[in-house]
Formats: sequence, structure tokens, C-alpha cells
Amino acid sequence: MDQFEMLKAWAETNVETTMFYILATLAIPLAYGVILDKTIIRSGFILIGVFGSICGLFLLLQAQFLALAQLMIYAVGITLVIVIALMLTNPRMEKSQLSNATPANQLGAFMVAVGLFMTIYLSVRPENWTLSSEPLDVNNVEVLGRALTTDYSLPFEFASVLLLAALIGSIMLAKAEKPPKPGEDDYEYSVVEDGPISDDARHDREPAASKR
Amino acid sequence: MTSSTATNTQTPAQAMSYTLAYAIAVFFVVSAYATGNLDNFVQMVGLAPVLESWALKDYTELLAFILIVLLGSTVALLGGTTSIIMAVGTVGSFFALTLNQHPLIQYLTLAAVLFSIGLYGMVVSRNAVRVLMSIELMLNAVNINLVAFARYVDPVQVKGQLFAIFVITVAAAEAAVGLAIVLSIYRNTSTVDMERFNLLKW
Repeated sequence: MDQFEMLKAWAETNVETTMFYILATLAIPLAYGVILDKTIIRSGFILIGVFGSICGLFLLLQAQFLALAQLMIYAVGITLVIVIALMLTNPRMEKSQLSNATPANQLGAFMVAVGLFMTIYLSVRPENWTLSSEPLDVNNVEVLGRALTTDYSLPFEFASVLLLAALIGSIMLAKAEKPPKPGEDDYEYSVVEDGPISDDARHDREPAASKR
Repeated sequence: MTSSTATNTQTPAQAMSYTLAYAIAVFFVVSAYATGNLDNFVQMVGLAPVLESWALKDYTELLAFILIVLLGSTVALLGGTTSIIMAVGTVGSFFALTLNQHPLIQYLTLAAVLFSIGLYGMVVSRNAVRVLMSIELMLNAVNINLVAFARYVDPVQVKGQLFAIFVITVAAAEAAVGLAIVLSIYRNTSTVDMERFNLLKW
């Protein structure tokens, strides 16, 4: 009981560290859930939890803008896209019939991951960082905005071009519609015969069938 | 990693009890390290000169980490639930490795843990969408690094946060294009199994 009281007093004086550990103990098992859960749609939703706890970590690090961007882009946007892709690629929500990795394979991957972690840890562990004890600027969003529009305006513009290219490219890739052959005006029957009928092909066919 | 190394003769209750015992053992190791008892133990056994000769004098937390990993592999071989053992061992060793460190090193270690989990998931998983999820995890770990540097190394011009913004942008583009590629491969081959994406093999 004494130790519990000591722990409580310590937690009350070090709120930041306590919050960090709470968020870290949330993030690590959830990350394991993402990569190990049998039902892949559930791991898609667990991903929201990981991104949410990382958003909390950003708030602890006083990066308010990035915390909200994390919430909007990752926890909502990317997870939504991933879940939609899961629904499209696994329509009956069955347990995945995929071949599992062999135990030797898993052991090798585990060794590589632990080795990578130890390398990173041993290289960040020596305390010769040039740390700055200054507090972060209270309105660092303003600093960010100024930097983005002055010093970093060229990368900013390139980022917008990249996003446009990615948008067009992913639409073109995901659409996958066969162009109608020249001379063949009966467009509604130009469906690929073998392989699964794509969604938009099915949509194209239905109104044509009702017309006749 | 589901009961692959476990022998199939174990009942679920046995596996659960092994896992629980491992969790308690990890808790004891971490608390022994946190209260300084592990240091006393090292002194008592006479490991201190050995550690000193390897220039690892202040690195008692590595001992706790190795202890946790060894215990975990033993319990996994005995037949515990492997995924829970991995999660418990990772959280325990994360606590042991960061308790007495500067906050910057705590954040960097957390990022390293998440990055390694992402790497492991990327190699092990056979579903292409799960591989993309693991890549998102790794990109997020890098973001934690950048924001932690912005907070503790460069708090005046928060350059780390700027880089994190660009990383998020590229990650969004990467997710959209990657999932579109997975969808179009699924249209052609009606599978998302990474092992069967061998259209381009010579």
C-alpha cells in the first residue's frame, strides 16, 4: 500500500510522463492487434486506436496542429480508405483463406525486428544530444504557417502537385474500365468474361437490361 | 503468429495460465529494475566487472530486456499464447528500457518499438492490405520521432513538425495509390495474397 501511495504521488508530480506511459501502453498492444488479428476488418478498426493514441502523444509534445491533422488524415481518412479497400477485396467478410507464414519465416522476421530495435535503441541511448531547454512557442501553429508560406513554399507547392497526381493516378488505377472497341457500339455487353465482374461493369449492365 | 511454435497438446486453459505467469514475471522484472533491486542483484552475483569490461556499466536495463526476451521465448516454447506473450514482453521491455531516461529518449524508443512492430507485420502478413497498414504504422513511428525532435531539440523553429506535415502528405498519397494498386490486382487475379503476386517473375 505504501508503494501504491508513492506511485500515486509520483504520478501527480509527473503528469506528462504518466500520460506518456499510459498512451504508450495503449499504442503498443493495439499495434500488435493491427498486425496479428485474425479478422482483418477488425485490425482495420484497431488502426484507429493506434492513430488516436499517437494523436495523444502529439498533444503531449505540444504539436496541436499535427495532432488534429493526425486525427483527420490518419484516424479518419486513411483508415476509411483502408476499410473500404478491405470490403472491396474481401466481400463476404470470411476469415482470410490466405497462406500463413511458416514458423521459420516468422522467427526470422522476429529476429530482424528485434535486431533493428536494439540497433536503434543502442544508437539513441547515449545522452549526447544537443538538447534545448527552451519551452516550445505557445502559438507554434503560427510559426508553422509562416515557415510553410515563406521558406518552405516550394515543397508546399510540390506537395499539392503530388497529391493531385496521386488522386488522378489512384482513380485511373481503381477504375479499370475497358475502353469500348472501335466499331462495337453494343457497349453494355463488352464485359470481361473470365474473372470476377467488376463493380462498375455490373452497374453499367443493369440499366441496359432494364431498358430492353 | 498464432500457436505456430506452441505444441498442439496444450489446452487453452494451460496456455492462458502460462501467459499469465509470464505477465507476472515481466511485472516483477520491471519492478525490480525500477526499484534498483536489479542493480543490487548484479553487484551481488558479480556481473558488474563483466559489464564494465564491455563498456556497459550503466546499461542494467539491457539485462532486464534480455531477461524478458529469454523468459518470453521459453514460455512461447512451453506453449503460451504467442501473440499475447509478444505484446506483454514488448510493453514490459519498453518500460524497463525507458524508465530512467530523458523524455526524448523515451519518445525515440517508443517510435523504434512501433517501427519494429510495423516491420515485423510487413514481413509476416500475407494480406496486401495488412502490409499497407503496417507501412502506415512505420510512417507514424517516424512522425513521432520528428515531433519529439521538434519539441526537445529545436523548439524555436519547429522544423520537425514541418517535416512531419510533409510525411503525412506523402503517406496519404501513398495509401491512396497503394490501395488502388491492390484493388486493380484483385480485379485481375481475385486474390490479395502476397505469395501469389508473382505476375512479374521471370
